[in-house]
Amino acid sequence: MLSIKDISKSFQQRGLVLDKLSLEVSEGDTIAIMGPSGSGKTTLMNILGLLDKPDSGEIIFKGASIANYSDDESADYRNKNIGFVFQEHLLLPYLTVSDNIFLPLLASEHSRQEIVSKEEYLSDLMDKTGITQLKGKYPRQISGGEAQRVALVRALANNPSILLADEPTGSLDSKNAEKMGELLIDMNHRYGITIILATHSAELAKKMSRKLRIEEGKLTASPE
Amino acid sequence: MPNIYRILFQSIRYSKKPIVYQFCIIVLLSAVITGSLLTGSSVKESLKRTASERLGNTGLLITSGIRYFDPLLVNRLKEKSGLTCTGILEVIGNSQSFSTQKVAFNTHIFGINKDFFVFQGNDSINIKPGEAAINRKLADFLGIRIGEDLIIHFQDISDIPSDAPFAASGDEGRSVVLKVGLILNPEENGNFSLSISQITPMNLFVNLTDLKEDEGKPLRINRLIISKIDQVTSVKASEMLKSNLKVSDLGLRTRLIKKVNGYELKSDRIFIDETALGEIKRLIPSSAPVITYLGNRFSKGGNSTPYSFVSALPSSLYPQISSGNTLIINKWMAEDMSAKKGDTINMSWYSPDSLNRLIERSGKFTVQRIEEIKGIWSDSLLMPDFPGIAGKESCSEWDAGVPVKMNEIRRKDEDYWNRYRGTPKAFMAYEEGKELWGNNFGPATAIRFPSEMSGKEIEGKLDGSVDPGKFGLYITDIHADSQKAANESVDFGTLLLSLGFFLILASFILLSFSTSSYFDTKKKHVSTLFALGFRKIWIIKLLYFESGLITLAACFAGAFSGYIVAVFITTALNTVWSGAVQTDTLETYFKVLPLITGFISTFIFIMAFMFFKVKNYLASLNSKEKASEKRPSVFLNRSLLLITGLITLLLIILSFIFKDQQLVYSFAGGTLLLITFILAWVQLYIGRNQANFPGFAGSNQLSRSYYLDSPLNAITPVLFIAAGIFSIFITGANRMDVGGGTMKRADGTGGYLFWCENAIPVKEDLNSESARKNFGIDDPKLGEMSFVQIKRRQGNDASCLNLNHVSIPPVLGLDPSDFISKNSFSFSRILKSENITNPWQYLQVPAENNTFYGIADQTVLEWGLKLKTGDTLIFRSESGIPVKIIIAAGLKSSVFQGNLLVGIGNFSKYYPSVSGSSVMLVDGNSLLTDQIKNILNDRFEKNGINIEKTTRRLASFNSVTNTYLSVFGVFGAFGMVIGIAGLGFVLIRSYNQRKSDFALMLATGFHLSRIRKMIISEQIQILSAGIFTGVIAAIVATLPSLRNNHNLPWQLLILMIMAIAATGLIALLLSVRSITKKSLVDNLKKE
Repeated sequence: MLSIKDISKSFQQRGLVLDKLSLEVSEGDTIAIMGPSGSGKTTLMNILGLLDKPDSGEIIFKGASIANYSDDESADYRNKNIGFVFQEHLLLPYLTVSDNIFLPLLASEHSRQEIVSKEEYLSDLMDKTGITQLKGKYPRQISGGEAQRVALVRALANNPSILLADEPTGSLDSKNAEKMGELLIDMNHRYGITIILATHSAELAKKMSRKLRIEEGKLTASPE
Repeated sequence: MPNIYRILFQSIRYSKKPIVYQFCIIVLLSAVITGSLLTGSSVKESLKRTASERLGNTGLLITSGIRYFDPLLVNRLKEKSGLTCTGILEVIGNSQSFSTQKVAFNTHIFGINKDFFVFQGNDSINIKPGEAAINRKLADFLGIRIGEDLIIHFQDISDIPSDAPFAASGDEGRSVVLKVGLILNPEENGNFSLSISQITPMNLFVNLTDLKEDEGKPLRINRLIISKIDQVTSVKASEMLKSNLKVSDLGLRTRLIKKVNGYELKSDRIFIDETALGEIKRLIPSSAPVITYLGNRFSKGGNSTPYSFVSALPSSLYPQISSGNTLIINKWMAEDMSAKKGDTINMSWYSPDSLNRLIERSGKFTVQRIEEIKGIWSDSLLMPDFPGIAGKESCSEWDAGVPVKMNEIRRKDEDYWNRYRGTPKAFMAYEEGKELWGNNFGPATAIRFPSEMSGKEIEGKLDGSVDPGKFGLYITDIHADSQKAANESVDFGTLLLSLGFFLILASFILLSFSTSSYFDTKKKHVSTLFALGFRKIWIIKLLYFESGLITLAACFAGAFSGYIVAVFITTALNTVWSGAVQTDTLETYFKVLPLITGFISTFIFIMAFMFFKVKNYLASLNSKEKASEKRPSVFLNRSLLLITGLITLLLIILSFIFKDQQLVYSFAGGTLLLITFILAWVQLYIGRNQANFPGFAGSNQLSRSYYLDSPLNAITPVLFIAAGIFSIFITGANRMDVGGGTMKRADGTGGYLFWCENAIPVKEDLNSESARKNFGIDDPKLGEMSFVQIKRRQGNDASCLNLNHVSIPPVLGLDPSDFISKNSFSFSRILKSENITNPWQYLQVPAENNTFYGIADQTVLEWGLKLKTGDTLIFRSESGIPVKIIIAAGLKSSVFQGNLLVGIGNFSKYYPSVSGSSVMLVDGNSLLTDQIKNILNDRFEKNGINIEKTTRRLASFNSVTNTYLSVFGVFGAFGMVIGIAGLGFVLIRSYNQRKSDFALMLATGFHLSRIRKMIISEQIQILSAGIFTGVIAAIVATLPSLRNNHNLPWQLLILMIMAIAATGLIALLLSVRSITKKSLVDNLKKE
């Protein structure tokens, strides 16, 4: 479904971060990418989500080369196919939980019928993640774990085929981290969403079907 | 589901604090811009209101300029054309209170009829005989009350120009004592004026009959005003004027000449000018001019006949006259000189030169024939009614206006006078006489007609048919003209916007800082939206709409606050800044157009600014790595620094070499030095080698590393402070001071001591020995005192003191020889010509095809008249000829501001009726200034002299510029306050960006006080760099002013710089105090 070939990326301050890195992702895969800080996990996630562009290399999504997408094409690609979860929840503080969840729907045109069906879908999703009762609250009124669950539901609002999660449990305590991991797997099972996550947490990585390690700009299979 | 508007409003609600900052700054910007525009519109409206108030019901004005006409014309226009009109005699003179002894120069004296105030709609106002009504300003100035006496002095009202040949000499001034009967307020037409100026005149109204010299003289007026209520156009009124105009109104009268059984037309002015002759010839082709002149001496061999009249007659009416250098003499003269046909006679006479000075000339003529004193040769009416000759019982009583040697007049000459009066003793062809005696006043003393034409027939052909313009009578729509002048007046809106430029710029910079800070707080939100797949345009829209909403609300509030700003500025203009407007009558008008213009322009301006701000913000967000790569190149910066440094040095050297261009070079050098310093600071920040200080070697290293990475965070405030100080310093240095330094020849005073104005012009040449003796100014102690005497044709003041747009300024006629020999005054612009070495020489070039050169102050040309050198200004001569004046040069700010200068020769040619000098420049030993002033005051008292030091006069003009600079200073000070606030913003922003650095320092054991000290140290460095850069660059830019010992307001400048430093330090200390341990520890936790 998604493949990257010989991706390289360097920065003036940090030098070469990704060095001819390649990765094949199939539909429904759950992949954990581990590695030390500064190894390029976030850079790789950003490139996969087209938030950043590689210096060289190919990105193929469903048979189409997307590495050279324009800003607008990249935005559309993200909106339709990618859901993002970050270490921080990044909920807009001035919008309610409900508004935050529905926010991605604003980025593209939807018919009335689609909206109705999305509302049902998101209501179901909120139910499943246990945040229905938080709908009218503002981010400052909920806990970190709840906020991260809201962020997960927001990431799934457009039924993305890939969920990119960058240290999704990094800001959570162990109990909430555990819950978040379970939710991610549940989403994968329930909706067949491909999950690629970058994490330091071995516990979370264990839950994924593939575990990869990034070091010196290259991806290698991580030992169990 | 949320929509964009919900997100928008929620976002605004969430970020109240930064939005309030932005809102306030935009309100300030909008208020300043709208306030400036509203003030501009209020000034215009006030000028229009003032113009209307001054004119009252006056719509159209018929003026004879410096000539006079018969008030009967007014009655005819009333009765035959049904016009509502009234006649006025307007003269400018002095008035003096008997009780306070105070003298008001330039008092506008209006001789009016009883219907004047009825015309103006103030029926109840009635001036009793022997009384005067004065306006409140004059009453206040003189300190006079109702019932007290005053005396007015003014130039005599006479049809005969006093410079005309054979005009009687003697006192040309009139003095009238009047009792103050009424003091008039503005609504009672007390400030009535036919001039275009916002300055309230000092007016005195008196019954026309009280100004009449004696019963024998006819009443004369020089203005006729037509009511605007009549709604008559100037074209229609011109037709009415023409159809009702009689030649007698213009002082032309027919009389029967019994000796030739024909009629002639003679003028009250004695001489009839070429234009009038042409007009009469056009209407009556058979008319022919005659000129009769007084010969000083006729001689043949040892025999001579003194003081005899000679007539030049047209051959069309006198076929006996043949052309050529011949004379027909009468038998009396022939016998007196023992002359016979064919003899050569020498004749001498006085005739005026181009300056109307009488010069004795002579010529030789052959006796063509000798005639008996009878028939046409005994026509005593050929002698014009020269006022000092006609009607005198004997020759010894003559006051001919020329030197007459009474001892040469014999008994037989008296006998001839007794028997034949002024009957000419010699005759010649008109063409010859015109050549000899034709002068600036005209080439004829009468117009004669064929004997078959009756007086009635002549008048019938002329009355209602002559073109009034050919006799110097013009009609103007003065109401429309004054409204137009007010509409095209100094644009205070633009002026204030330019004076407030620094304030506006400072506000924009502050807005930029506050917007950046606001956007910084939204960074994560925007990143989230990107990650959620929102297109860039959507995010731009969101941010732009958000900014737009704030801007819209703030511009709206600002536009209305602009009215308060306008009220404040108008009040200031009426009081502390009245130097700029010369009046205290301005009102603030709430006008929708400037309000909307201010609102829309500010909104568009800020939205355009926000558009770029949003785009730049998103661009910087997308390419964080690239942004840091954009740090200025050390090599490029060093190269630029070297280039600008070298050019600066070159410009400074040039300013010392080329003295005439030193202002330009110094200013350019100073400005470039400011840029050089800025580049030097950039070099200092980016040129430091980070590698030499690994790790946290010290708190300085942290500062250095930070500014190495973000040099603009240090350079922006340096640039801002430096530019502010530079502006304030330049403003202070450019304040026009007129201390001792401006008495130099090249300065605006020309090196002359006094500018004098005479209510009764001085006719004599005050540089001549005889005149000095007459006036008692021949005391050798007065040393090298000399005069430049100047004639003036009145006009509307075009100096910067008049806010209205003036197209007809006063014209001054002068002889520039003294300026040329003394190298007086300096020029900004000069028309190039190979033959001219000194621009004043242009004034000596005689007119050709009614075109000649003129000079005016460059500021008057540029701002008042809106002309440049080489442009042409069209005037009308007093006889109605269109005269083209080519602007030959623009003077640097001088005492002549507001006037157009022309050569005296050309002036006298086109304005011969202006006699004597109304204006005088007095040169002399500056050590004797007070002594000279006292003597002049005493000796020229009867002329109503007003003596003003040239330095003081120049200072009054400079007060306008200085007031503008004060306005600039005040706006600049506000700008600096905002600038300091901007500095605070930079500090806060830089602190926010470095929170983690400080937190780390705290974690590694740095004391909070040390962190604070580090921040204070680096910010003081920035503050000092800004002040140093601004001051040094400004000193270089104003070197010429400093070298010329201008009284630079050093104290004020130092005070302002200290205030900037102090405010900066206080802002810094307050900001640093807000850095608390808690705020840093919180930040550390996040890390």
